[in-house]
Amino acid sequence: MTRRISLVVLFLSIIAIAIGYGAAFEKGGTPSWAPWLLALGIPVALGAIMVLGAVRGARGIGPLKFAFAFVILILVVGFGAALALPATESTVSRLWLGLPARAAIVIYGIGLLPIIVLPVAYALTFEAMTLSAEDLERVRAMARDNRAHTQP
Amino acid sequence: MIAVGLLYFAVIVGISIWAARRTRTANDFFVAGKGIGLIALTVASVSVSVSGFAFIGGPGFIYAAGLGAMYIVLPAAVTNVMGAWVLAKRMRLLAEARGLITIPDAIGARYRSRGAQGLSAVAILVGIVGYLATNALAMGVVINAIFGLGLGWGIWIGMGVTLAYSASGGILAGIYNDVFQGTLMAIASVLVFLFVLSFGGGLGEISRTILAHDSVFLGPWGRLTPLAALSFFFVFSMGSLGQPQAVHKYYMLRDPLQLKWYPLLKTLGLVLVLLLYFSVGVGVKAFVLAGRLPPLKSPDQATPTLLLNVTPVVLAALVFSGVAAATMSAANSFMNIGAAIVTHDLPIALGRRVKNELRWGRAVTVLIAVAAAVTAQRSGTMVAFLGIFGWGLFASTLVPALAVGLNWQGATRAGAIASIATGLIVTLALETTSYWKVFSFPAGVTASAVAMVSSFLVFFVVSWLTRGTAAAAIDPDIQLVMDV
Repeated sequence: MTRRISLVVLFLSIIAIAIGYGAAFEKGGTPSWAPWLLALGIPVALGAIMVLGAVRGARGIGPLKFAFAFVILILVVGFGAALALPATESTVSRLWLGLPARAAIVIYGIGLLPIIVLPVAYALTFEAMTLSAEDLERVRAMARDNRAHTQP
Repeated sequence: MIAVGLLYFAVIVGISIWAARRTRTANDFFVAGKGIGLIALTVASVSVSVSGFAFIGGPGFIYAAGLGAMYIVLPAAVTNVMGAWVLAKRMRLLAEARGLITIPDAIGARYRSRGAQGLSAVAILVGIVGYLATNALAMGVVINAIFGLGLGWGIWIGMGVTLAYSASGGILAGIYNDVFQGTLMAIASVLVFLFVLSFGGGLGEISRTILAHDSVFLGPWGRLTPLAALSFFFVFSMGSLGQPQAVHKYYMLRDPLQLKWYPLLKTLGLVLVLLLYFSVGVGVKAFVLAGRLPPLKSPDQATPTLLLNVTPVVLAALVFSGVAAATMSAANSFMNIGAAIVTHDLPIALGRRVKNELRWGRAVTVLIAVAAAVTAQRSGTMVAFLGIFGWGLFASTLVPALAVGLNWQGATRAGAIASIATGLIVTLALETTSYWKVFSFPAGVTASAVAMVSSFLVFFVVSWLTRGTAAAAIDPDIQLVMDV
């Protein structure tokens, strides 16, 4: 079920991205809503394909759903803030870790926050959700069987 | 600077001689006998993931386009772990189950189709020509900057050295040279980052200088439109799942259970290497605006101008060696993949097997290197186009069929072939007509993005239309790899 949902979501998000690109071909120029489709479609597409890769049969994605939801949210909020917040950058702007607010959201939010969450979630759930020694042995056993049957 | 350059080449020669003595079979030559440890593979993968663009073209792009240029590298926060979930385990298990050694091998096994294997091999080969030529030219520029021998000699010396270790030691020489080169790149990047911050009085001071003259530069999209910046993010995030130089590495890890730490280590390594990309692009902009550096003749001069005017000579030499390292490691990886395609995948697609893949692999590596060097020397401005074309072609032809196909049993052979063909044709048609100015895209739309979206949609629609054939077309061992 999780796999099917992720496929449908991936397909729909690619459609959204395609519509965003298609809108750019309008004679009057790119409509203001077109980037929003990409800002929403890209994080959702990335999330969907990660879920598709992580899902394990009936077990679904387990605790990984929190990590995926967090990263999709970070990307959507980051892109959305960059699109929605007014341009106020000037010499008197308050700086956040050395950058104006909107730039800080992009560099630190989109560029660094996912690093703290995703690879750690991957490592912590590796044996349970990705690959265990038993999984590996099952594949190796089948490979041994196949070789035994194909060798004269 | 010349002494550091000579030392760099001496280390590469030493590693190559050692690796050549350990390369005895085609398996050693193309996938290092599946015997690379976690740390070595991680550093090597970081090394091939960033080409000379990260050190020269990238900072120049930031200098010209502002923070919008960061959308090319921001996806690194997500792509490594995404690749791990979507591809790493399945590719590595395919190597266990079938002893596969190439990406077209995986596509052929997944869809039980020599046609899909052959078509993906052709697509990768076409993309490799562009990528290799771009890296050959970058090598020429760097070697010319260090030794002053002229661009032509630089191209041939750079490709000659890379060819020597690629043809003799195959991917084993490549991996251990990549480890050396990746370490060098990370050290150079961190030192330059610290130098720029120190020279500029901290990031806050650098930002204030830029904001006083050019506030748009530090806006969230820089000088790009939002659509263009988001488009970069899309192509360089989703497209990363189709980059053969990175995906191919999954076959090589000695112990598949070590994949656990691979994305974390690789992401941290990439962040270190990309510090130069950000700091030089932003720093040089501030230094030029403040009159501390002369105005640049072209954006690509950002890194050389910084190195030749204000950094200590040793640091400049280290960075130039790092650039050479970045281009050589990428070139080596593509030579190896190209050789595997010509000696392994294309014959299989035609129903034949090459008797001595190791010998032919070495011979084809020589041919590919010579072809790339000649292309780099003759193509002029077209070389940059070929590099962009290569990335887009890999993304549009491989992501749906490989990344989605290995995780979705409903994907069909017809869907995969139609998707690869769509990616190939749309990329070739749009990039070529765009390059020759027969057609121009609206601001923010790129041929790579359109081709990848088209390829995805065709993959889903054709697989759905032919869904009756899906389940019967998967071998039991491949099914197990997809289920695990």
